Amino acid sequence: MKERLFKDILPRVTKPARYVGGELNMIKKDWQQSQIKMVFAFPDVYEIGMSHIGSKILYGLVNEQSNHLIERTFAPWPDMESLMREEGIPLYSLESFAPLNSFDVVGFSLQYELSITNVLNMLDLADIPLWAQERQESDPLVIAGGPVVFNPEPFAGFFDAFLIGDGEELLVEFLDCLEQNRGLDRKARLLKAAAIEGVYIPAFYSVEYKQDKTILKMCPEYPGVSERVRKRLVKDLDNSYYPDKPIVPFMEIVHDRAVLEVMRGCQRACRFCHAGTVYRPVREKSVAVLKKQAEDQLQSTGYDEISLASLSTLDYSGVTPLVKDLVRTYGERGIGVSLPSLRVDAFSIDLANEVQKVRKTTLTLAPEAGTQRLRDVINKNISDEDLFQAVEAAFGSGWNSVKLYFMLGLPTETEADLHGIMELLARVKTIGNRLSRRPVEVRASLACFVPKAHTPFQWRPQNSIAQLEEKRRYLMSRKIKSVKLSFHDSQTSMLEGVMARGDRRLAEVIYKAWQRGCKFDGWSEYFKFEQWMASFDECHIDPAFYVERHRAYDEVFPWDFVDTGVRKSYLSDENEMASIGLSTPDCRQAGCLDCGICIDFGVDLDIKEEA
Amino acid sequence: MRLRAEYRVGPDLKFLANLDMMHLMERALRRARIPYLLTEGFNPHIRLSMGTILPVGLWGEKEYFDLEMDNMPGEDFMIRMNDVLPPNMRIRQCQEIKAGTPSLMKVVNAAAYAFMIKKNGLELGSVIAEILGQEESLVRSRGKNKSVLKDLRPGIHNLTVESKDEADIITALVSVNEPLNVRFDEVLELFANNGVEKELILDFWRRGNYIKNGENFYSPLELV
Repeated sequence: MKERLFKDILPRVTKPARYVGGELNMIKKDWQQSQIKMVFAFPDVYEIGMSHIGSKILYGLVNEQSNHLIERTFAPWPDMESLMREEGIPLYSLESFAPLNSFDVVGFSLQYELSITNVLNMLDLADIPLWAQERQESDPLVIAGGPVVFNPEPFAGFFDAFLIGDGEELLVEFLDCLEQNRGLDRKARLLKAAAIEGVYIPAFYSVEYKQDKTILKMCPEYPGVSERVRKRLVKDLDNSYYPDKPIVPFMEIVHDRAVLEVMRGCQRACRFCHAGTVYRPVREKSVAVLKKQAEDQLQSTGYDEISLASLSTLDYSGVTPLVKDLVRTYGERGIGVSLPSLRVDAFSIDLANEVQKVRKTTLTLAPEAGTQRLRDVINKNISDEDLFQAVEAAFGSGWNSVKLYFMLGLPTETEADLHGIMELLARVKTIGNRLSRRPVEVRASLACFVPKAHTPFQWRPQNSIAQLEEKRRYLMSRKIKSVKLSFHDSQTSMLEGVMARGDRRLAEVIYKAWQRGCKFDGWSEYFKFEQWMASFDECHIDPAFYVERHRAYDEVFPWDFVDTGVRKSYLSDENEMASIGLSTPDCRQAGCLDCGICIDFGVDLDIKEEA
Repeated sequence: MRLRAEYRVGPDLKFLANLDMMHLMERALRRARIPYLLTEGFNPHIRLSMGTILPVGLWGEKEYFDLEMDNMPGEDFMIRMNDVLPPNMRIRQCQEIKAGTPSLMKVVNAAAYAFMIKKNGLELGSVIAEILGQEESLVRSRGKNKSVLKDLRPGIHNLTVESKDEADIITALVSVNEPLNVRFDEVLELFANNGVEKELILDFWRRGNYIKNGENFYSPLELV
């Protein structure tokens, strides 16, 4: 297979380095000596998949610390896909060039709702039946994990199992269980796996619906299968596995640098944020551990940049000593430090200036909304004052371009809030022009708000495409000279919204959309909205039911069975607070707000440095 | 000091683009803790300059780069680099060069491409004799201006055939860079125009890069 690829196939595709494997630090375990053979499948192209930290963690963990093996595969770009189909080449792993259907487990990482059509396409390229119920004893088990599986229901029909929560806590246990029950048939093995906390086997549950199409109840159909599935979480991040020799791709990837995960979780409690709820509580790593991990990774990779990753890195209690230490240690060798996103305050800019001693990074700030009122509604606890101070500090210390992130269609949004965005941009521009010698560049990215499962806004309607388009027109008509506005596609956001709060009846729609050629839906050049709409029509499903409907507090949601540790009553209280425009403080400073995670999971905030 | 190194890029790495190759080398320099020098300015980078671009799809027997660094014996440099380079990549030799030596990009003006050709009764000796006898050898240009016909003949310095058990190998010594850049895929087309079909070609790679001085060809390590 490899010889044929190198000689006949790869010379004919764009970016052949996506498909060759063999990168520095790749681990190729002995096939015969290994127990469960799993392939980690990322449903997007190589350069995106290889940028994902979670994949690096699980790849190293399984290969280095268990008797199982894990290899990698990615979605082939359409030019490669059509050659593979023409030439009869099945989807293969990059380590052994083994076809996917020769593995025991195919595990997909679901980072984004709309990558599901790529999942189907990859299964099809691997000659694995797309529907879980059609798979035979000889077919691999198809599983998934990642943030999307906190509401796995729209994809239930395609997967044999979902692994919910922190994978490094769960995956090896799941594979061990499969190995221990090798003699049993598929269903019996899955029943054994269902007993593991965090494992959800969708085929073992039945769902009944009401007349109004909402859910009446969802119940396990087998004894020993629990009603709710509790996410798994790493309690002590310092002592959990982190790769010291990550793979270094040959080709340029999206995040082409060493990555330190400084903490997991975020305590800011922004009401729109999915990750901020499902990854509670905050768990930090200590500065000493991070310094060691930085040293190991840089030594084994040779990268010229190290990035401090987390949901809100500037909130990491050790961020200042860590950044200063890294800059001091590695600056001389031309190795830079980068901060992926900055908090909106002057402190952040001071720290960013430390980083800039080595390498210039782009200044991005996320006020999310244009007025104080709306920021209170979404609990984005920053003031205009914070923002302008941050911008002054940035332009005053030599930055020349700022990018600001906003959302359109947030709950309670009015024209005044849209107007506020433009006013804010105008003011940022004025500050820049006053403080900078050269003309400053101000850019705004406007995303469409998509209410997500498990957040305080899970009951709220999403703006329709028509509403979002009107807001876009409003902003464009008030455009400020030399401030660039870029908008997320409202049709894509609508479809994301359907999946984010969808149920298992959607699998048929997804299947039909895939049959109609939908794939790479997150890539605007491939997104086929009309084909999706035709598929909804064909299945007699109205997408508005999922996105535009106001949901009642007593409605049973498809994702209610997933126990994230955050109680529904806390979420509804937060939603009520939003209605009256009251913000909620950070539980690090204000004390426990009783969301449920710490008490129910027997954990605590893990903050390393004293404030 | 300035150091010029000759390295091999194995077949498994033939799909790397030029920038990928440069990143690979820079990362290896960092892993090996080579005392490289950095450029000044906001965005410092290693003072490394790669030779003529190795086209995507080709592997290379003798490629070159120049590096500025603090003093270090060449032997140590090779050992430390080869310790961290991927198995398909090896520094073959290196030597210190004078500060004023012109860069590789400026002086390399010839390259040897090898084409491994399946035996099928075709008399390759007469094919190359025919090509070398041509007054002009026109092919479609693969460079920037794709619509024009390009005469390769002035850029073909020599063609030779070696017969091996499993296949024959034609080596084409051609001019590169200014004034006439003969690309390997243009040579492939020239072969096709002269009866050597693409299907017969089993592999191709770059054998070496040279500096043509009068009628003589020198390796970049010889003329420093």
